[in-house]
Amino acid sequence: MPNFTINGISVDVPQGTTILEAAKTAGIEIPHYCYHPKLSVAGNCRMCLVEVEKFPKLQIACNTIVTDGMAVKTDSEKVKQAVTGVLEFLLIHHPIDCPICDQAGECGLQIYYMKYGLHKSRYAVEDKVHKKKVQDIGGQIILDAERCILCSRCIRFLQEVTGTGELEFFQRGDHSEISIFPGRPLDNRYTGNLADICPVGALTSKDFRFKCRVWLLRGARSICPGCANGCNVEAHFKEEILYRLKPRQNDEVNKTWMCDPGRLEYKKANEARLLTPVNRENGIPKAAPWEAALSSVAFRLWEMVEKHGPGSVAVIASPQFSNEELFLARKLADEVLRTPHLGFSLRTVGDGFADDFLIKADKNPNTRGAKLLGISEEKFDDIVQNVADGKIRALLVFGNGIADLSDAETGRLLANVPFVVQIATNEGAVSRAAHAILPSASFVERGGTFTNHAGRVQRFWMGFPPRGKARSAIEIITGLANRLGAGWKSGGEAQVFRAIAQSEAPFAGMSYESLGELGQTAGGKG
Amino acid sequence: MSPSFSEATRARFERMLARYPDKEAAILPTLHLAQREFGHLSGEAIDYVATLLGFTPARIEGVATFYTMYNRKPVGKYHLQVCRNLSCSLMGAEHLIEHMSRKLGIKPGGTTADGTFTLSTVECLGSCGTAPVMQVNDDYHEDLTEESIDAILDGLRQEHG
Repeated sequence: MPNFTINGISVDVPQGTTILEAAKTAGIEIPHYCYHPKLSVAGNCRMCLVEVEKFPKLQIACNTIVTDGMAVKTDSEKVKQAVTGVLEFLLIHHPIDCPICDQAGECGLQIYYMKYGLHKSRYAVEDKVHKKKVQDIGGQIILDAERCILCSRCIRFLQEVTGTGELEFFQRGDHSEISIFPGRPLDNRYTGNLADICPVGALTSKDFRFKCRVWLLRGARSICPGCANGCNVEAHFKEEILYRLKPRQNDEVNKTWMCDPGRLEYKKANEARLLTPVNRENGIPKAAPWEAALSSVAFRLWEMVEKHGPGSVAVIASPQFSNEELFLARKLADEVLRTPHLGFSLRTVGDGFADDFLIKADKNPNTRGAKLLGISEEKFDDIVQNVADGKIRALLVFGNGIADLSDAETGRLLANVPFVVQIATNEGAVSRAAHAILPSASFVERGGTFTNHAGRVQRFWMGFPPRGKARSAIEIITGLANRLGAGWKSGGEAQVFRAIAQSEAPFAGMSYESLGELGQTAGGKG
Repeated sequence: MSPSFSEATRARFERMLARYPDKEAAILPTLHLAQREFGHLSGEAIDYVATLLGFTPARIEGVATFYTMYNRKPVGKYHLQVCRNLSCSLMGAEHLIEHMSRKLGIKPGGTTADGTFTLSTVECLGSCGTAPVMQVNDDYHEDLTEESIDAILDGLRQEHG
């Protein structure tokens, strides 16, 4: 294990570590643009120049391997001058259009200019080489060629990660630019990552552009609810509106990437939301206070059980809900309603596309969790049959839709049930048919855990409290159960998870603390 | 219609390709073949070379636009490449370029309306001892003067009919 000193600090690093990576472990930041931890080393931005003892010239930290006894300086006058000089070159043709640039606030050029530059430009604005702005190059990306510093991260991403190679350097010298071959736009499902890895404002997100200045956004650690992969994300919001999802590094799941469809999942938390409890009276939906809504739903459920037996009530759970919520839904069905009819419906939604990278065909974040909690998918068909046969008098539906049924099919199916209750976040065919709607919190308005396709249990955190009158499903289920005489203690998701860890073998020994930010793999088979 | 190599060029391409263990190294010679065959490297020609070698068209475009000796736009029957590097400039190249511009009625980079001549300025042609120099298609013309240039151009024009 080589030992070296950096700015006088002695550090041991594994064989083969570069100076840039080693500096990170010593808490020393070395500025860089082209280096990216998940891409090959290009060494072309020259921002990471450092002084290495006995080397005649400055070396790039990203491509210099630490050797035993090496002495590195990152804060010498020589280094500072070099970095400032490099930055001046990188900025030489930059249009300085920060006021209209979406990257402003999270731009590598702005950040390093304030830290290492602060130089007066020696290049007249009118002499700058101009390149094409606002080019739609396909996918989720807009290219502004004159903001580009030619770091080649995007080119390497498309060669090394997606293998599609749509972007290349064209021309040479100060006319160099990255672009697509005319008529061959970006053609992969991971284009949004280009905006993330672009250290400047050259590649920006078509979807997010001009929606919100980034310094107004706050972030919550979350899990993408778009499919069973469970990519770790950061949900960015302002007040009660979500603006974007950005990948959060988890090398076991998504490294630093996420897919394009996943990036648009945030819209569900904003649009067509169910925000107030609804009771349908004589066919007309009416907003109701929570107390009244919960009491009347509990009463109708109790009435059905009393009159027609527990078998007249069914619960369709949804793998869109968290482990904690599914666990309580199961307890509600098993212990309170005592119905045998509990199943979950799988929604595939969209094209059901899957690849061998991040996109799974199962478009639910918690199918594995539902299975590990003993909720059966097979039971669902059985419930549908019972509903069609008119044997179900009361149906509790979790989620916005039922399986992949069309709106018309959903309507026809639910018409067979005298009392339909829905716990969901968004309007749809179920909410149009339901006799009672209990609006639940979106994925960023509550905390909990999802279990991804590989059995990895991962936490997501609340960014802001539920919008409107929506409530977390934990509160809703507990409220119903207690009105049916269950006497559950009310508690948050952490408490429910403790109960899961105690009673459910696959989750044994887990706690929110042990899950941490990156999750843990559940035992057993799902 | 998308371009494709003639049988003879195709055969040359196959022979050439066999010499390179790495297809990436064959990009430059293949582009030269394509330029000879098609006159210039149009988008379609780039696409054709990309398919031939199994790269993305963007990769080939990147190579083709980096080098100045690949013509991305059509050039005239005679491509006049006049050196304007140090030795040639000292020997009056700039003046000769002006003379040719006037004579042909085009600026450097332009092509005559009849498609006979394209005038370009280039960097060192490696013949400083005989400066000023220009290259017309594959041939060098050395120790140029206004008079010798007139003779060359008039000769070519006659040849062209």
